Amino acid sequence: MTQARYLLRNQEIEDIDQFEVYRAHGGYDALKKALAEFEPEAVVDLVKRSGLRGRGGAGFPTGVKWGFLPKDGRPRYLVVNSDEAEPGTFKDRELIERNPHQLIEGMIISSFAIQARQAYIYCRGEFLRGYEQLSRAVQEAYAAGFLGDNILDSGFALDIFVYRGAGAYICGEESALLESLEGRRGNPRLKPPFPAVAGLYGMPTIVNNVETIANVPPIVTLGAEWYTSMGTEKSPGLKIMSVSGKVNRPGNYEIPLATPLRALIDDYAGGMQPGRSVKCVIPGGSSVPLLMPDQLDTPLDYESVLQAGSMLGSGGCIVLDDTVCIVKASHRLVKFYREESCGKCTPCREGTYWMADVLERVEAGMGDEGDLAILMDVADNINGKCFCPLGDASIGFLVSAIRHFRDEFEAHVREHSCPMGEKVYDTANY
Amino acid sequence: MIRLTIDGQEISVPEGMMIADAAARLGIEVPVYCYHEALGPLGACRMCLVQVEKMPKLATACTTAVAEGMVVHTQGAAVDKGRKGVLEFLLINHPLDCPVCDKGGECFLQDYTFRYGPPAGRFEEPKIQKVKDGPINEFVLIDQERCVLCQRCVRFMEEYVGEPQLLLEGRGVETVVSTVEHRPAQSQFAGNVVDLCPVGALLATPYHHKARPWNIERQESVCPLCPVGCTTLNTGRDGRIVRVEGRPVLDRNWGWLCDRGRFGFDFAVSPDRLTVSRLQGHDEAAARATRQVGQWLEQVVGQYGPDSVAFVIGGLHTSEEAHQLYRFATEVVGTSRLAMSRQVQGYLPRGLNGTFEDIAAADAVVLVGTDPYEAVPVVHLKLRERWRQQRDLKLFGVAPRTLGRETLPVDTLITHVGHEAHVLAQALARVVPDHPAVAQLAIQGDSGFDDAATLAQLGQALVNSEHLTLLWDGVEPEVESVLIALATVRGAKVTRVLPTWGPSNWRGLERGGFPARLEALTQILKDARDGKVQMLVLWGADLLREYPDAQLVQEVYQTVPYIIGEGLFLPLGSESMRAFLPEASPGEMAGTYINMEARVQTLTPSVQPPGQARPTRSYLNAWAHSLKKSFVAEDDWDPFDDESGDLLPVEAIPATIAPLSPVSQPSGEMELATGVLVMENGIPSELLRSRKPQALARLSPVDAQRLGLSAQGMVRVARNGEELRVAVTVDQAMTPGRIYIPLGVPSCPVNKIGTGVVEVARLEEVHSA
Amino acid sequence: MKPEWREWAAEARTEFPQAHSALLPLLHRVQRAEGWLSGETLADIAELLDLSPQYVQSVASFYSLYFKEPVGKKVVHVCMGLSCMLAGSDELMHQLEEKLGVSQGQTTADGEYTLLEGECLAACDLAPVAQVNLRYHGPVPPEKADTLLREEVSP
Ligand SMILES: Cc1cc2nc3c(=O)[nH]c(=O)nc-3n(C[C@H](O)[C@H](O)[C@H](O)COP(=O)(O)O)c2cc1C
Ligand code: SF4
Ligand code: FES
Repeated sequence: MTQARYLLRNQEIEDIDQFEVYRAHGGYDALKKALAEFEPEAVVDLVKRSGLRGRGGAGFPTGVKWGFLPKDGRPRYLVVNSDEAEPGTFKDRELIERNPHQLIEGMIISSFAIQARQAYIYCRGEFLRGYEQLSRAVQEAYAAGFLGDNILDSGFALDIFVYRGAGAYICGEESALLESLEGRRGNPRLKPPFPAVAGLYGMPTIVNNVETIANVPPIVTLGAEWYTSMGTEKSPGLKIMSVSGKVNRPGNYEIPLATPLRALIDDYAGGMQPGRSVKCVIPGGSSVPLLMPDQLDTPLDYESVLQAGSMLGSGGCIVLDDTVCIVKASHRLVKFYREESCGKCTPCREGTYWMADVLERVEAGMGDEGDLAILMDVADNINGKCFCPLGDASIGFLVSAIRHFRDEFEAHVREHSCPMGEKVYDTANY
Repeated sequence: MIRLTIDGQEISVPEGMMIADAAARLGIEVPVYCYHEALGPLGACRMCLVQVEKMPKLATACTTAVAEGMVVHTQGAAVDKGRKGVLEFLLINHPLDCPVCDKGGECFLQDYTFRYGPPAGRFEEPKIQKVKDGPINEFVLIDQERCVLCQRCVRFMEEYVGEPQLLLEGRGVETVVSTVEHRPAQSQFAGNVVDLCPVGALLATPYHHKARPWNIERQESVCPLCPVGCTTLNTGRDGRIVRVEGRPVLDRNWGWLCDRGRFGFDFAVSPDRLTVSRLQGHDEAAARATRQVGQWLEQVVGQYGPDSVAFVIGGLHTSEEAHQLYRFATEVVGTSRLAMSRQVQGYLPRGLNGTFEDIAAADAVVLVGTDPYEAVPVVHLKLRERWRQQRDLKLFGVAPRTLGRETLPVDTLITHVGHEAHVLAQALARVVPDHPAVAQLAIQGDSGFDDAATLAQLGQALVNSEHLTLLWDGVEPEVESVLIALATVRGAKVTRVLPTWGPSNWRGLERGGFPARLEALTQILKDARDGKVQMLVLWGADLLREYPDAQLVQEVYQTVPYIIGEGLFLPLGSESMRAFLPEASPGEMAGTYINMEARVQTLTPSVQPPGQARPTRSYLNAWAHSLKKSFVAEDDWDPFDDESGDLLPVEAIPATIAPLSPVSQPSGEMELATGVLVMENGIPSELLRSRKPQALARLSPVDAQRLGLSAQGMVRVARNGEELRVAVTVDQAMTPGRIYIPLGVPSCPVNKIGTGVVEVARLEEVHSA
Repeated sequence: MKPEWREWAAEARTEFPQAHSALLPLLHRVQRAEGWLSGETLADIAELLDLSPQYVQSVASFYSLYFKEPVGKKVVHVCMGLSCMLAGSDELMHQLEEKLGVSQGQTTADGEYTLLEGECLAACDLAPVAQVNLRYHGPVPPEKADTLLREEVSP
C-alpha cells in the first residue's frame, strides 16, 4: 500500500530505531510541542477529542480513562502494556523492536498529560530484542534530555523503567500485569478498585497498550481533527492490523478504522494464497468469535465488528482457508488458554482443560455423539463466570466455530477421523 | 448501614460487607469454598454465584459488596446452573475416593454436590495426577489431587498468620499447594489448615483413617490447655479422644486453635497418666483407697480440728469440681484453709479484666511480661489480626526479654528481672507526674531503664490511647498496683487487662470458691511448715512444680503427716504423699471453664474416664460418708450469672493503690527470667514430642560467647545455694545478661531456684533435653 | 551462592523505585548466568531479597521462562500458535524431535539443546517461527529444521 504511515513509519524509513534517524524525521517534535504549548489538562483534552480508543483489546476511550485518575495528590504511574501475547497479534512487537523512540515519545507526552513522574514498560519476556531496543532507546532519551529532571526546561520530570516479564499470557491483563510488575505471581486482581484508583504499588495508575501510546505523538502533531477525519465517529483514527494465516503477505498494516476486512486481506495482505479461499477469519486476536466469508465486507471498526458478531480486539487477524480443520484450529486455541490460565478460578482452570481434552479426542477421531453438546455446555458454564476475561476469551472462537461448522465437528465424530486429512500446510508457498 | 434485599428478605448491614456475609446473617447459606470472612475476598472458586438485579452477569457473593437498594437472588435457574457447572469443574480432576477419605461425610464438596451438583459425571478424560498423602509437617497430610485450589490454607498461613510456609506452585490446572523443598511447615498454627480446607486435601495425620463420620460424634467443648479457652469440637472414639477441631462462634471467634491444643489431646491417654489409686506407695483398689483417706480425714478432724485440714486446688479441674470441693471443705470438714495453686504471684481484680473484644477494639496494646505467641498462642493471632487491620496500632512490651517477632512487631522495653512494675510506673509518671494515683505508687529507686524517649512513648500510649488493652503474665505481683493506678489515671477511657497465666481455669476455680490470690496458699504453706496443718489435700495441684518458692514446699512435704494428692499425673514429691487418687480429665465430664476473659464456657464430655479415674464428687460423697455427714455433691450449681451473660459478674476496680517497693539495679552478670511456654506447661503429649524445644533455656549470643557455648550446650544455673542443669540454646532475640527458662517444666522447675540474679556456668557434658 | 549475586541483588533492588519489583529481574539475571534456577538458587535469591523461599518458589513456578530444571545450551522454542500451525509448526516440531532424538520438553543427552513448545510468539508474519535462546528465526519451514539447529546464537 502506498498510503502514508504514521504508526508504522519503520516500514518506510530505514533505521528509524536509531535515535538520530528518528530525530531527523521529526522525532520528539511532538514532545517539544506538547511541553511548550500545552498544559497537561489540554493534552488529556486533546486525546479525548481525538476519540483515540485503547488498542490493547477492549477499545476503551483513552482520554476518558486518563480522566478517571483521582485528583488527590498521590503519585501516579503510567504503565505501558507491551506483553503482547494474544495469538495472531504482533503489532506491538514491531513497534518496540523497530521504532522504540516513538513509544517513548508517546510515553513522555502521556505521562506529562496525566502528571506521572514514573512510567513503566512491561515487556513480554519472550521479546528479548524488543527489551534491548527499549532499554537502549530509553538511555538515548535520557542522554538527549528527553527523560530525567526538567525535561526540555519545562520543569516536568519523568523516569521510564523497562521491566521484563517471564512468560505468562495472563500478565497482559492489566491487573495481573501490575501484580507481575510488583514481583508477584501474575494473578489478576479483584476489581474494583480499578488501576486508575489503586494500581501499581496501590497508587493511581494508567495502563495503556503500546499502540495506544504510539498514537499520541501524531495526534499532538497533527491534531484531533486529523484523527477524527479517519474512521468513524465512534471509532476514529488508525489501527494496526496484524494479518497472518493463508494470505500472500502476512504482516502489520496500518489502516484507517472502518476499512473493510476484504480490503485488508486483498489489498494490504496481498490476497489469499494461490488456489485458496477464505474459510473464516478471526478479526481481532484469538479471543474473538470468527467471521464467515459472507462477512468480509464488514468495516473494521469497533462497532461494526461487534455488530457482525465478533470483536475488533487487538487487531490480530488470522485468515483460515478452506484446507484448515476447524476442530484442529479450535483445539489449538483452546489449548493455548488451557496453558495460559493462571489457575486461580475454577471455570477457567478446569473448563479449558476439559474442552482441550475433548477437542483433542474429537480431532483424533475418538469423539462420540455427546461431545459437541458437552463442549457447548462447558463453554456456557465458563461464560461470564470467571474471575477475569481470560475464561470468556477461551470460548469465543470455539463457540462460533461450532455454530458455523457444526457439520465438520459432527463429521469428525461420525467418521472417527479428520475429514480434512493430516497435512494442513503446503511447502510450496515459501 | 446499607439496606438490601436478599431472597425477598430485607436486611441492614454495615457498608463494605460482602453479599455472602449479609446472607449468612439472614440465615441464607451461600455456598463458598475459597471465601472466609477472616481472610477477605478472593473470588477464586466461583461457587458463590448469585443473581444481582441490574447486573448483566452472575456475581460472586464473596467479592461483591452490598449496595443500597440491591436486590439479590441466591437461587434461580441461572444461579443453579452456574453452581452446578462450577461443581462439575471441581470434580473433573477430583479423585473418586470419598469412601476412603477422612473428610467423607464432613466435606463441602460432597455436601454441595449433593445439594447443587451435577447428577452424573460427564467427564471421561484422564484426570491429572498429583501427589497423594504428602506430608506438610508431622501433623498434616496433603492430597493434591483432592485440592480445589481455594487457597484458604496458603492465604491463612501467609497473610493471616504471617508464616508463609505453604505455597502455590505452578500455574493453571497444574497448580498445587505444597511446601518449599518439602521442608515441614513449622508454624504452631499450621494445624488450622485442616479445618480451613473445605475438602479432604489437608488431613490431620493423627486422625488419618481413624474413623468414619457415621461412627463418631463431635462434642462442643473448650481447649483446657491454656487460659485462652479456644472453642473446640472433640471427636471421641473407643474411649479416647481422637481429634480436636476448632469451633467458630459467630461474631466472636474464627475457631482457630494452636497445634498445642489441636494435637495435645493425647495427654488423657498418656502412658504417664494415673488411672489407679495409690496408697502408701502401692496401687490400690479405688474403693479401698478412698475409704482409707476418709478414715484419715475423720481421724485428723477429730483429733486436731477442722482447720488442721487444708485444701489446695489446681490443675485441670472444672469450676463445678472446685465448687463441690469448696462446699465439702467448708460445710463438711469446716476448714477455712483453702487455696489455689498457681505458678505466678500476680492477681488481677475482676474489675480490670477485659475480653478479646478489647483486643479487636484497642488502639494501644501493652504486653507486660507475656509473650502471647508462646503463652496464649491464639491471642497472638488476635493481636495480629488487629495489627493487620490497624497498622498504626501501638504495641509495647515491658519485660526482661524481647516479646515481638516478625509476625507482630512489638516495641519492647527490656527491663531487669522484677522491674516491670517499676518501669511501667516510670512511664506513667513521665506523662502525669503529679497525678495522685501516681503519687500513691511511691516510685523509688533506679530501675536502670533510662531510655527517656521510649519511656515517654509508652507513657503517652498508656495515658492517652482511647482503648488500652494490656496482657499480663502475672509473674511480677506489683504490676497489679500499677494497673489500678493506670485505670484511675485514665478515668473514663477504656483500660482492660487480660491475664495470661494458668491454670487455664483459675477464674473458674475462684468462682467455685477458692481464693485465687497466692497469699492464701503461702499462708497455708507457712502454717503447715509450722505444724499447724495435719492433712494437706492437693486437688490437681503440683506444688513442687508450681509454687514460686519450692523450698518452702519441700519443708512442708517433710512436715505434714497426711498429704493426699489427686490428679492426672503423679506430681513431683509424690513419695511424700500417703495417697494419690486418679482424676477425671476435662474431656471426660461435663462442666465449665472460665477463660482469661472471665467468660464461662461449657465442656461436653466425649469419652468416659478411664480405669479408676473419677470426677471430684465421687470422692467427696464417699468421704462425707466417712465423716458421717449428710452431703451430696451434685451438679446443682452453675457459675453463670443472671445479669452478665456468659461473663462473670462485673466488679468495681479496687480503690486502693499499694505503694511499690523500691528497686535497685541488680548486681550480677546474669538474671534469670521466666514465663509460660504452652508447649511445656507440664501436661504431657506424645504426639507433640517433636515440637518440644530441644533446649529449654535461652540466652543471647553475647553471653553464649562469654560462656564458651556454641549454638547449644548445657549450663548450670545457680541461685541461693540451689541449682538447675539445663540445656540452653542461643537466641538472637535475647538481651545480654538474661537467661530465660520457662515456668513449670517438670524436668527443670525454675521455682527451685527462683528468678533474679543467678550464676551461670557452662557444663562440659552435653545432654539432649 | 555466587559472590556476584549479592551485587546483582543490590542492583535489582535499586533498579526500580520500589524494591518489590526486584524479584523477576534478579531471577532473569541469575538464570542467564546459571542456565536454570535450582531450588537452592531460589532459596539464595529469597535470602538476597529478604523474601521467603516459599514466595520466591511460588513466583518462579508461575512463569514459563524460568527453568526449574537444567536446560541445554540452546533452548529452542517452537511456536505452537494457530498461525504457525497453519504454516506447519507441528511438522517443524516433529522434524526437530527426530533430529535431536528427544521429545518436546526434553533436553538432549549432550546438554546442547532443549526443545520446548512456545505459545504464540507474536511473530505470526514469520510463521512458522521459532526462537533459539529467545532470538527469533522465521519462517522456518519444516525442511529447514537443520538450518535452525545450526544457527549461531548470540547471548
Ligand atoms: C487475558 C487478557 C490478556 C490481555 N493481554 C493484553 C496484551 O497483551 N496487551 C495489551 O495491551 N492489553 C492486553 N489486555 C488488555 C489489558 O487488560 C488492558 O485493557 C489494556 O492494556 C489497556 O490498554 P488500552 O486501553 O490502551 O487498550 C489483555 C486483557 C486480558 C483480559
Ligand atoms: S479467568 Fe480465572 S483462572 Fe482464568 S486467567 Fe482469569 S482469573 Fe485466572
Ligand atoms: S466463595 Fe466466592 S469465589 Fe469462592
